[in-house]
Amino acid sequence: MNGAMGWLLVGLGLGVVVVRRRSIAVGLVTTQALVLAAIALRQAGTASDVVAGLALAARAVALGALFFVAVARSREAQPLRARVTPMVRAGVAVVLILMFTALVPAFGLTSRPAERAVLALVATGLACASTRRSTLFQVLGIVLVENGLALAAIESAHASSVIIELGVTLDLTLIVCVAALFHLRIFSEFGAGDSAALRSLRD
Amino acid sequence: MTSTQALAVMVVAAPLVTAGLVIVAPSKHLTVLARTCAVATSALAVVLVSRAVKDAGHPLIGNWIVVDAAGALLLAVTAIVGLASVMMSPAYLHGTHSSFVAENHRDRVYYAVLFLFWAMLLAVPLAGNLGAAWLLVEATTAASALLVGFSGKAHALEAGWKYLILTSLGLGIALLGIAILAAGVPTAGVSGLAWGRLATFASGRSTALSAYLLILIGLAAKIGWAPVHNWLPDAHSQAPPPVSALLSAALLPTVLLIAWRTDRALAPLIGVSAAQRVLVGFGLASLAVAVPFLWRPMAFKRLLAYSSLEHLGVIALGIGFGTPLALAGVALHIVGHAIAKALGFYAATPLLAHEPRAARHAVSGIGRTAPALGATMGLSLGALSGLPPSPLFVSELLILAGGFESGRPWPAATAAVLLALGLLGLAHATIDTLVGKAHRRNVEQPPGLRLVTTLGGVSLVLLLGLTAVAPWLSGSNFVDAIVRGVP
Repeated sequence: MNGAMGWLLVGLGLGVVVVRRRSIAVGLVTTQALVLAAIALRQAGTASDVVAGLALAARAVALGALFFVAVARSREAQPLRARVTPMVRAGVAVVLILMFTALVPAFGLTSRPAERAVLALVATGLACASTRRSTLFQVLGIVLVENGLALAAIESAHASSVIIELGVTLDLTLIVCVAALFHLRIFSEFGAGDSAALRSLRD
Repeated sequence: MTSTQALAVMVVAAPLVTAGLVIVAPSKHLTVLARTCAVATSALAVVLVSRAVKDAGHPLIGNWIVVDAAGALLLAVTAIVGLASVMMSPAYLHGTHSSFVAENHRDRVYYAVLFLFWAMLLAVPLAGNLGAAWLLVEATTAASALLVGFSGKAHALEAGWKYLILTSLGLGIALLGIAILAAGVPTAGVSGLAWGRLATFASGRSTALSAYLLILIGLAAKIGWAPVHNWLPDAHSQAPPPVSALLSAALLPTVLLIAWRTDRALAPLIGVSAAQRVLVGFGLASLAVAVPFLWRPMAFKRLLAYSSLEHLGVIALGIGFGTPLALAGVALHIVGHAIAKALGFYAATPLLAHEPRAARHAVSGIGRTAPALGATMGLSLGALSGLPPSPLFVSELLILAGGFESGRPWPAATAAVLLALGLLGLAHATIDTLVGKAHRRNVEQPPGLRLVTTLGGVSLVLLLGLTAVAPWLSGSNFVDAIVRGVP
């Protein structure tokens, strides 16, 4: 993977952190996942690499479709206003990215830029999940983390187990499906997919 | 495939098959089918555990399946608590009318997801490599989140959502640590992540330490160690009581086993002392956070949840101290905590029918209005508080002694003070539950009371039995095998 691809992936992730509309964020995450699948298929050296790449592509399409359905079924009168402004969210994401890349030493992927891209995507996902009020954006944060981990598998110097890779893809897809189900139930119960409404259980 | 490996596969396959069967079985046979299959699953697990205990000195080690002493301990706990949870489920389903799914599919979906969750839980201690263990732990999240939010009520949705998001993000961080390890071990494929091969990691100590911290911090979110425990009181208090029992008594220590195995595997690379310090830190933080809540009047299930935080902290301390004495205490603590905590959550089903206010408020005087229920709750709380002759009193003593033995007097002394405070808090709650001021209550026999009382009797015998064998535990072949871990 070249540096431009890394920047593209991280840029798409930062876009999810700052954009206001859920549908645009879903589009950005789906594009990011498809770019990852394209990188995986381009670098595939064995049949199992091709299978893993195709699984990533299938996951990207399936999750994109699922999210668009979730957005359509939970239309809000106006987008939820986040507690923190887009600039602050972007700032939090950048600080997390710098922290992760500074603290985690080289760990054996094909290149240091690839390692930085992995860490940046994970950091972006954490920033998205922790700074957005909308439940759908919090799920998108998990998907951003997953995309970073998928990049780590693609850029690993030696072949990993295809069973484990497919298992991770399946597992995380399952988690996102359950989260989408919760999002829809929360929307029907509270009238909005707003995590600020989910704060009554406190001691 | 050896017969032990085949048996391990059957232990996991049995609940998976049951999950499929309950989807297609006629509604009127659901309860009988679930209970019969639960007995069969537990019987298979007990046979496997007995083999593992018999051959404790020669564990079965493979790239995919491991059957060792520590795994057998967790397998036994998960099998027994799972069986009891299935047995208690009809009483819960009888007493509830709301759910996440349509009314006519409610019981079917509940049992299917419960058996899926149980299957994944049974598989975790048998996982032969870190990658598979992570997959299984993540799979438990999907199933158990649905069960936490099963009632479909606003509070349950809130608890399920917090649980799903926080633990998924935590497990994502743990997976980053695993990816770092996978990139640095010389062996490609799944065998590179086998427990025994992790020590071949060749990318240097600082990278290994980063991976270890990421894995431990990520798993801590799932185990419920402070300071990443926020989901725990909510999920345990809002889940159906049989599910709360599985979450607290089986899920948390099972995930902790993965942290323990990772710690063992990476300790030679990062230094035994550094690895142990992290666990002792999590243990003390969990105790310090939990103890103040044990002093507050609180809804019964929520009180049990904070007690889980305390006890998972104690187990972390024992593993962190790492001496044979402390590890004997850990083994005893895992089993004693599972019995007492599961009993407490099972008692919540008749309690909520007897006193609906108990869902949100502290209750008192249950022993006056429902003596059998009060006695069961008192047994659970008394054992969890560590009052003698509870086995948790002995296990905590063993762990503290192990702390002094390992040359960590300050953490051991701090833990002793916190445990004494926790004991006083829970002992106060026990007395209040039994003989405190009683309100006017529904005098009809609540659903599940007879089964809970029976389980209370069985638990009393088991708890006293554990206390009786405790002095012989340290130095036994079984504990020696636990100390050796997965070679």
